[in-house]
Amino acid sequence: MTGFAVFAGKELREILRTWRIWVLPSIVLFFAVTGPLLARFTPQIVGALVGNQLNGLKIPTPTYVDAYVQWIKNLSQIVLIAVIIVYGSLVSGEIRSGTAVLVLTKPLSRTAFVIAKAAVHSLFLVCVVVAGALLTWALTWLIFGRAPAAPLWSATGAFLVLGLVFVALMTLLSVLIGSAAGAAGAGLGGYVVLSITAIWKPLGTYSPAALTTQPGSLAAGKDVTALWPILTSLVLVPILVVLAGQILRRRDL
Amino acid sequence: MNAAIETVGLTKTYGAKRALDGVNLVVGEGSIFGFLGPNGAGKTTMVRLLTGLAHPTSGSARVLGSEILAGDAIGSEVGYLPDVPGFYEWMTGAEFLEFAGRLFALQPATLKGRVKTLLALAGLADVNTKIGGYSRGMKQRLGIAQALINAPRLLVLDEPTSALDPIGRKDVLEMLASLRGRATVFFSTHILADVDRVCDTVAILDRGRLVMQAPMEELKRRYGARKLVLEVTEGADRLADEIGAKPWATSVVRSNNGAIEITVADMNAAQREIPALVAAQGLGLSRLDTGETQLEEVFVELVGGSQH
Repeated sequence: MTGFAVFAGKELREILRTWRIWVLPSIVLFFAVTGPLLARFTPQIVGALVGNQLNGLKIPTPTYVDAYVQWIKNLSQIVLIAVIIVYGSLVSGEIRSGTAVLVLTKPLSRTAFVIAKAAVHSLFLVCVVVAGALLTWALTWLIFGRAPAAPLWSATGAFLVLGLVFVALMTLLSVLIGSAAGAAGAGLGGYVVLSITAIWKPLGTYSPAALTTQPGSLAAGKDVTALWPILTSLVLVPILVVLAGQILRRRDL
Repeated sequence: MNAAIETVGLTKTYGAKRALDGVNLVVGEGSIFGFLGPNGAGKTTMVRLLTGLAHPTSGSARVLGSEILAGDAIGSEVGYLPDVPGFYEWMTGAEFLEFAGRLFALQPATLKGRVKTLLALAGLADVNTKIGGYSRGMKQRLGIAQALINAPRLLVLDEPTSALDPIGRKDVLEMLASLRGRATVFFSTHILADVDRVCDTVAILDRGRLVMQAPMEELKRRYGARKLVLEVTEGADRLADEIGAKPWATSVVRSNNGAIEITVADMNAAQREIPALVAAQGLGLSRLDTGETQLEEVFVELVGGSQH
């Protein structure tokens, strides 16, 4: 436990003292700010772009729902892709730079090494996304005068579960694939596969694949039950991380 | 003497290549053990197997009495320095040592004292920059310091002096020598002078095979018994030619001071015939002595031929 805590502390300090503190938070906070603004001014932007070509077609007056949907759409696409790219070298980066060798010849097991990394970066993702959600919530209230909590937080929570699945998946892929670009490519492939399989009803209802679409529905205030995909995702996350640890144990460093 | 390291038939293959081939090695506790071999001999593979970083294809290794299971953390009594140590470049040297010490669960007061002592030993006490700004030599010295943070019973070093300048090398070798009797030091190197300077036992690895293991004194005695140094008052060149033609002389070399250095296959025959040859040529015999064999000569004899 000591080695795990010490190494997790190192991961946390590494986030705070390197580029990692800038990349994900900047992306998330950027979309947290621009989401409500973009939703509010979409009619004006569209009007300025197309002029009179709409032939009297009226764009509906934007509401808080548009801000929420915009936020979740950005999370589910751009932020998730950023997570995949950023964590493509989560473990392989340490192996390549030689730091893993120094650390793993001390009293720290390879499984603890992997779990600590996945846990700290999952926590980091949760903190960043919650901070972004708080910001977008406040801005939505300021701009639209109304910002009910349930749609925003249920959608953000559902996305976060999907985010944790991808942190765990990238942990595994960064053990399996030495190249950061290769692991990121495989992660993006996984994202595409997951999005496509969501079309098949059983998977689109019960598996983590459902979480590629359900957060958007939740943000729009639709009556969606995300319990099963959340449960299966929360079972999948530790399986992926422990598998990554076991594979690392069997590898030569 | 207890064995700090013991390997039995340790073998590691990479595809068709046999990096390590049935190595049986015993390293006595408390010794400073030089693990010599030319580049590509399998030294780093051996070190990686001993530290649990790689899985053996067959055979086994015991370190401080415990079997090494690759993939598991090694004991808290082992310190290790890889050939090219990798550090978190955003940390300072002191921060890295504190991090390493906490992984060994050292008490804060002990850790604080060790960090201070080891930074001074590594010549990094006044360096406050991040490790990313260190030179290769500074990183190597920090690497040695981190390997000592747990006051290990066994220190395993892979090419510890290869990145150091002559002064840094001297400091490191003196530091290793100072551990004699307190810890076992196992270091791999291709620098013969380093082994000659500090080691009490040496093993030579060639193309994955252990070709020799012996205490330094025995090694020099064994190989020194095959070398004679001869000095005559005059006419050394003619005498050297004549000796060179004898069946018991495997090589004859003229040294810088004019002496004749003879490597012999049959010491008794040489000792009988050389005085007779000197007398037959009417020369004065100034010196006839057994020579001191340099480790380099032993090394070249054992592995030199296979390099070409």
